Amino acid sequence: MRLNDAISGVVLFIFALAVIAYSTTFPSLHGQAYGPSLFPTVIGSCLALCGLILVGRGIRAHRHDNQTTTSAPQEQEQENPKDLHGWVQWGDWVSDGSRLTTMLLVPGLLIAYIVLSDIVGFILLSIIIMTVLLYRLGTPLLSTLLIAVAGTVLLQLLFAKVLLVPLPPGLLLPWIG
Amino acid sequence: MEAIFLAFSLVLDPSVLGVMFLSAVFGLFVGSIPGLTATMAAALLIPFTFFMDPVPAIAAIVTTVAMAIFAGDIPGALLRIPGTPASAAYCDEAYALTRKGKAETALGVSLVCSAIGGVLGSAVLALTAPSLAEFAIKFSSFEYFWLACLGLSCAVIVSTGSTLKGLVSLLIGLFIATIGIDVTAGHPRFTFGNVEMMGGISFIPAMIGMFAISEVLRFIAAPNAQHSVPQQAIKHVFRGIGGIISKYKLNVARGGVIGAVVGILPGAGADIAAWIAYAMSKRFSKESSKFGTGHVEGLVDAGTANNAGLAGAWVPALVFGIPGDSITAIVIGVLYMKGMNPGPTVFMNQPELIHAVFIVFFLANLALIPLGFIAIRLSRTILLVPRHVLIPIILMFCVVGAFAINNTVFGISVMLFMGVMAYIMEENGFPVAPTILGIVLGTMLEQNFMSSMIKADGEFSGFFSRPIAATLGVLVIAIWVLPLIKMVFRAVLSRRVQQTKP
Amino acid sequence: MRKLATRTIKNLFVGSAVAAVLLSQSLSTAMAAWPERPVTLIVPWSAGGGTDATGRMIGSLLEQELGQPFNVVNRTGGSGVVGHSAIANAKPDGYTIGVVTVEIGMMHWAGLTELSGINYTPIALYNADAAGVLVRADSPWETAQDMIDAVTADPGAHKGSGTGQGGIWHLALAGMLNTAELSPDTVPWVPSQGSAPALQELVAEGVDVVTSSIVEAAALIDAGRVKPLAIMNAERVDAFADVPTLMEATGIDWQMAAWRGLAGPGGMPDEVTATLTAAFEKVWQSAEFQEFMNGRGFGLVWKPGKEFAEWMSSSDESLGGVMQAVGMAK
Repeated sequence: MRLNDAISGVVLFIFALAVIAYSTTFPSLHGQAYGPSLFPTVIGSCLALCGLILVGRGIRAHRHDNQTTTSAPQEQEQENPKDLHGWVQWGDWVSDGSRLTTMLLVPGLLIAYIVLSDIVGFILLSIIIMTVLLYRLGTPLLSTLLIAVAGTVLLQLLFAKVLLVPLPPGLLLPWIG
Repeated sequence: MEAIFLAFSLVLDPSVLGVMFLSAVFGLFVGSIPGLTATMAAALLIPFTFFMDPVPAIAAIVTTVAMAIFAGDIPGALLRIPGTPASAAYCDEAYALTRKGKAETALGVSLVCSAIGGVLGSAVLALTAPSLAEFAIKFSSFEYFWLACLGLSCAVIVSTGSTLKGLVSLLIGLFIATIGIDVTAGHPRFTFGNVEMMGGISFIPAMIGMFAISEVLRFIAAPNAQHSVPQQAIKHVFRGIGGIISKYKLNVARGGVIGAVVGILPGAGADIAAWIAYAMSKRFSKESSKFGTGHVEGLVDAGTANNAGLAGAWVPALVFGIPGDSITAIVIGVLYMKGMNPGPTVFMNQPELIHAVFIVFFLANLALIPLGFIAIRLSRTILLVPRHVLIPIILMFCVVGAFAINNTVFGISVMLFMGVMAYIMEENGFPVAPTILGIVLGTMLEQNFMSSMIKADGEFSGFFSRPIAATLGVLVIAIWVLPLIKMVFRAVLSRRVQQTKP
Repeated sequence: MRKLATRTIKNLFVGSAVAAVLLSQSLSTAMAAWPERPVTLIVPWSAGGGTDATGRMIGSLLEQELGQPFNVVNRTGGSGVVGHSAIANAKPDGYTIGVVTVEIGMMHWAGLTELSGINYTPIALYNADAAGVLVRADSPWETAQDMIDAVTADPGAHKGSGTGQGGIWHLALAGMLNTAELSPDTVPWVPSQGSAPALQELVAEGVDVVTSSIVEAAALIDAGRVKPLAIMNAERVDAFADVPTLMEATGIDWQMAAWRGLAGPGGMPDEVTATLTAAFEKVWQSAEFQEFMNGRGFGLVWKPGKEFAEWMSSSDESLGGVMQAVGMAK
């Protein structure tokens, strides 16, 4: 997913303004001009400035794109090694239904882990996540199951037993506690 | 002299050597897993050290940590996922080498430089501990502020591509560092009432997300793209390394010095040492344009520096009981427990124990060569596994690693968020390394600035009122101003040439 | 045992009254059998610090005592809020306990959390360390009275450090000044990330006085870089017998100590608490623990159960009073 610099710039600029606005609510250190709000404000201001420059560059690049391609100077093009046409260029994975699903599955599965790990437990979720991803990435079903189970058992042994990381047991508590 | 013989007999005991061997295996294992840091490895050892004599207890920690810092390079080179934060600085460089089919060279250089760095650091520790501690303890918030600035300047030097985008990336990192309760006023910032956010964004999950999760997403978006890594045999790890080391012997020396000096300063450890060494390497290289494309020169500097930094951190710990980094903070606890209370008296009353510590340092770093070699040989199987099988396994390793740093799913949320952000950033030409550096240095920068302002009653001149601070300050300003002057000078010069030509 | 429990649960579904009796019996035996799996011991401060060291020592000794691993988990950040919340919010089944520190009586006054000592099941207080008045070895101040005189004569010129803004050692200094009827601004506070960096600042001539626990400066005192002028305790402590109490040195009646105790989330089963307290008492009395604590100079205190709860509430009250007096409470 490639964005024109102008879009990145606008997003950064709005974000920076939000940071600065929120920083004004911080209390000041009694009687001093600098306090908790100083650094966020300075960082926000710099980001806002960078955002504006990016917007300028993006618009220039966009305009240049739309001009008939001839004698324009090439020096700004260092920023975009591959030419970007238009404002947003989605990767080809977006139009490929199967790859789009897999792409969305990664954050989806991780969020599921974050929400469910305490209840369901590490072992079951790890097997599910690995199975789904392995299968979708083209591993045959039988090997998928083998790898998912073996990998999970390995992780559980290494982390929970050797390194004492308290991985949540969840539903399997009576058996592995 | 007698103390030295006694020290040798303490260390060369079969049980001590056995402990060192087991610790080495443990250290290599922990270091090579992203999310498990050398500090964590040391903390895990503490319950075992309760029941050991002082020398094996310390030998265990020294060996584990030395191995872990090197082992962090292995997943960095093979998968572009740094195993420990100290490998993050040059992870891209090492991975670029692997993609060229030169994983052997990348890992060989890392290994040999780590060992050399470790030995250099040990020599600094053994020969100059008391006098260097004297120098380090003179650092106050003014000096640390400039040191943090120096570190940030590295981001700009290190980043490849657009300087503007590198700066944006750095600012994002600095912003992330402000999340949580600020030390200056104790006020929660950008936490939205969330207790986990009050603790701030731990940079380990952020690092795993930015390197590993973004890599997973990139692979899924374009499975057949140029990211595939050529199959390669990693057999002759040491082939050609001698030539590289002798070609870059100045870099080795420089990396060792930077590592030891940064390590000695309390509060700045192996990770910051690696960043500064890598940036210095690029800054002064004759071939700086090759950096980032799979050029070994930076690896030599930074690989030496992070291992040299480890021993350096023991200097203030042994002499003044002030930890040089988070690992020595743990070590100090163990020293107290073993009745080796840090301070000058331990050097006088128990010299054999102090000498034993030095010997252990040398031995551990020398053992790095054969043991690290075995670890590299074992790890090459990673490259033989097809990528589409490896990716889901990596994902689960990252989940567990991000969880393990604080044992909370909040780490996984941070990892996910940073991973998606890093994916979008890299697609659009924003380098991610400066963000990591921003998170590492943000707190140090802000806190020392605030402390300094309070101490100087708001006078900015305080930052130049002390000799070391003033020197560092001038250095930082020079780093930023000199390239500008050079640019202006060149522009003027070239205009003149153009004018004179026709 | 487990099979029995599952079988009895099945029987309960059948609805047999006998089964209900069986179940209640098997449950009570299950409690008596605590711990039957590893216990998590949460430390709200980072690995390597004093609290972490004591937590790990206690964890490994409790493991010997009770036969199950006590895994130390550092939940750091947010001035202790994160870890203390994690202990309070854990399931009160005895499988998550933690080290609670003095900050639990301060955080809610500062408006950072709702939690206070009453949200925990107290097990026992095991340590308390008094604050010291520490200055550079070459400082012109020879006694704590010299220091008080100097800061009274020139308010704002001399800086103090030891923790972050509003931390326990900041409170130690502010409370001392407050008791001496000086404004807390007389000695401006330079925030630091703990005692070690503050002591470094002291030696590097960045600040003039550090009011952290005297124990943490032991190595620097030994090295002749730092001199302790007073200890904020009711009586002198053995490890530093030459150091006068603040009362002796200046007549300022002010004491401040950081303490550490073992506690679980509120509402833990009584049987578990009893087993744990008994085991912990054995650990506390063991030669290994005493040797470890004395070796590092940590002050040993023992207040189990109710006494610990009373200690927490009185500590909470006095901290709140001072924080209000010096303007740190919200």
